[in-house]
Amino acid sequence: MLTRFTRSSALALALGYVGLGVVALALFALPLWYAWRVTVEEYRVELIQEDVQRFSEVFARRGAEGLSAFIDERVNLQIAGDRLLLLADPSLQPLAGNLESWPKEVPAQPGIYTIDMVVVGHPSRVGLVRATLPGGYNLLVGRDITHFNPLENRFWLGLGVSLTVLLGVGIASGWLVRRVVLSEIDNISHSVGAIVHGDLSHRLPVTPRGGEFNTLSTTINRMFDQIEQLVHGVRNVSNSIAHDLRTPLAELRSRLEEMVVTRPSGEELNEGLADAVEDVDRVIGIFNALLRLAEIDAGAQRSGFVEVNPAELASRAAEFYRPAAELKGISLDFRDAAEGVRLAGDPLLLSQAVFNLLDNAVKFTPAGGHIRVEAARGDSGIEISVGDDGPGVPDEEKQRVVERFYRGDLSRGSTPGVGLGLTLVSAIASLHGGRLDLTDNHPGLIARMVFDSLQPGVQAAL
Amino acid sequence: MKVLLVEDNERVSRFVVKGLREAGHTIDHVENGRDGLFYAASETYDAIIMDRMLPGQIDGLGIIETLRQQGNRTPILVLSALSSVDERIKGLRAGGDDYLTKPFAFGELLARLDALVRRLQVDAGATQLSVGDLHMDVRSRKVSRGGRAITLQPREFQLLEYLMRHVGQVVTRTMLLENVWDYHFDPQTNIVDVHISNLRQKIEIQGEKPLVKTVRGAGYMMTADS
Repeated sequence: MLTRFTRSSALALALGYVGLGVVALALFALPLWYAWRVTVEEYRVELIQEDVQRFSEVFARRGAEGLSAFIDERVNLQIAGDRLLLLADPSLQPLAGNLESWPKEVPAQPGIYTIDMVVVGHPSRVGLVRATLPGGYNLLVGRDITHFNPLENRFWLGLGVSLTVLLGVGIASGWLVRRVVLSEIDNISHSVGAIVHGDLSHRLPVTPRGGEFNTLSTTINRMFDQIEQLVHGVRNVSNSIAHDLRTPLAELRSRLEEMVVTRPSGEELNEGLADAVEDVDRVIGIFNALLRLAEIDAGAQRSGFVEVNPAELASRAAEFYRPAAELKGISLDFRDAAEGVRLAGDPLLLSQAVFNLLDNAVKFTPAGGHIRVEAARGDSGIEISVGDDGPGVPDEEKQRVVERFYRGDLSRGSTPGVGLGLTLVSAIASLHGGRLDLTDNHPGLIARMVFDSLQPGVQAAL
Repeated sequence: MKVLLVEDNERVSRFVVKGLREAGHTIDHVENGRDGLFYAASETYDAIIMDRMLPGQIDGLGIIETLRQQGNRTPILVLSALSSVDERIKGLRAGGDDYLTKPFAFGELLARLDALVRRLQVDAGATQLSVGDLHMDVRSRKVSRGGRAITLQPREFQLLEYLMRHVGQVVTRTMLLENVWDYHFDPQTNIVDVHISNLRQKIEIQGEKPLVKTVRGAGYMMTADS
């Protein structure tokens, strides 16, 4: 647990907070300390120096004996207060003052010092000035500043206590962060790990109380939804590819094997081979469709965009398909409500998309049915639609029919096709900044591609 | 006819060379761009089949551009694994006459090659076309067979005109899609067959000799002698 704590980001967080607190404390204490030094000490030194000055003047006027008398008088009269006074001859023998001997703690050089020494039996802290008077006499003037010590000590104690409290709070908050916040993150990462390793359908718990962690869980769950869908998609695609390729390949195989066994000759051999080539062509067709889809998905063909007349494009496609529809007893008509609008696009891809829609319509509409191709100017842009009165697509399947290789129960097995048609249409529509809508035709299906119309600016860019 | 094949893939080459020899053509085969340019520039061919991606300093499109700059007008069929419309346009812009995507059916290659070569021989501006007793006046858009007037939809007229201009040649479904409908992609449907069948019903009424023959595995051929 401890190593987990030291390695976790909670420690770093706690240390960061503590460090920040120490810095804040230092920023607060240093000016105080500085003010203390400057105002109190310097003022004290000034006072002492003034004394030294005065005593020097007395010495200059009245000599060593005069100064001795002057000092003794002050000591006796208690004017000296908490001052330390000592006049000594050149061999440091005391002549006058309230110290019994020259303190050996005082350095040999004249100057201003703060030293710890014993004054009349008491260990004291003393600020003093050592001066050398003419004739080698030594003068020591100082003040006992021991009474400042408790103040200083209290300052340092306060600082120390603050620091301790700060460290304590910092470490405690680190633990707290670790326990509350990071453990939530830990939970999430454990759950995610479990999901990644095992069940993709599992999700993170989301509580109704909200908060950042719930948002995170929701986002991660959404990501898993997407991943699950993709994985399913890939699985479906590979299943479908396997299925759709296996059928023609199996036919091809049995055809070839039969020829190996029966060794046909002449016309029969030619026919068998031609059928085999047809099987291979079906396989190639599937791969071509996949490649085209990949190309379109990658947006590779956007460079070929020109101005396209959607009405003309749709009517040509309708005209191309009409004989096939009529052959099945389906009537096919075209309605132009596009009011001459244009769109920017690849005419071949768009034609192909309409072909795929028409192909589906012809495939699924029964004899006597009706197909209507329409180019229209809708509320949200240009629409090219193919409506039929066939069996339609149930609402719950509308999303899925656009998926790669999806084939409704109706079409699987009974109608030829790869299951890429609507996927391709949808990909082409989105390449053109549009979309594919599937709606009910009551009865039947309307497949509608909706595009933005050509803006003047786009036209200039073409 | 005499054909130059510039192709580095061994299998494709063997398949094309064998097929063209069987169809009675003379064929030179080189495997890299340098030799390709040398042969194409120094010999006279009826047509060149040019792969796009080649070893040897210069690729297929480079050779074509060089030949065209030299004023060489030999029909060139470009072969490529690059199938997108952009690539196709690039190939034609460089001076290729037709573009075929790999993998292809040999029938498709042969039909396109034939069409390229004959394009130079027939009079493209002819306005009176005849196949057997079928007659077409391109200017007045009138079609008749043995004195019987035939009414055609505009697209049917175009389809018939294309077939008649390529009489005796195999035309593939893809060629029809590209040249009659201007659809340069494979719609993966048999709709062209339906159009042909409709056309046949109009020009070959009962008792009349069939003019449009189905060529298995390739496409159609219009011919007066069957």
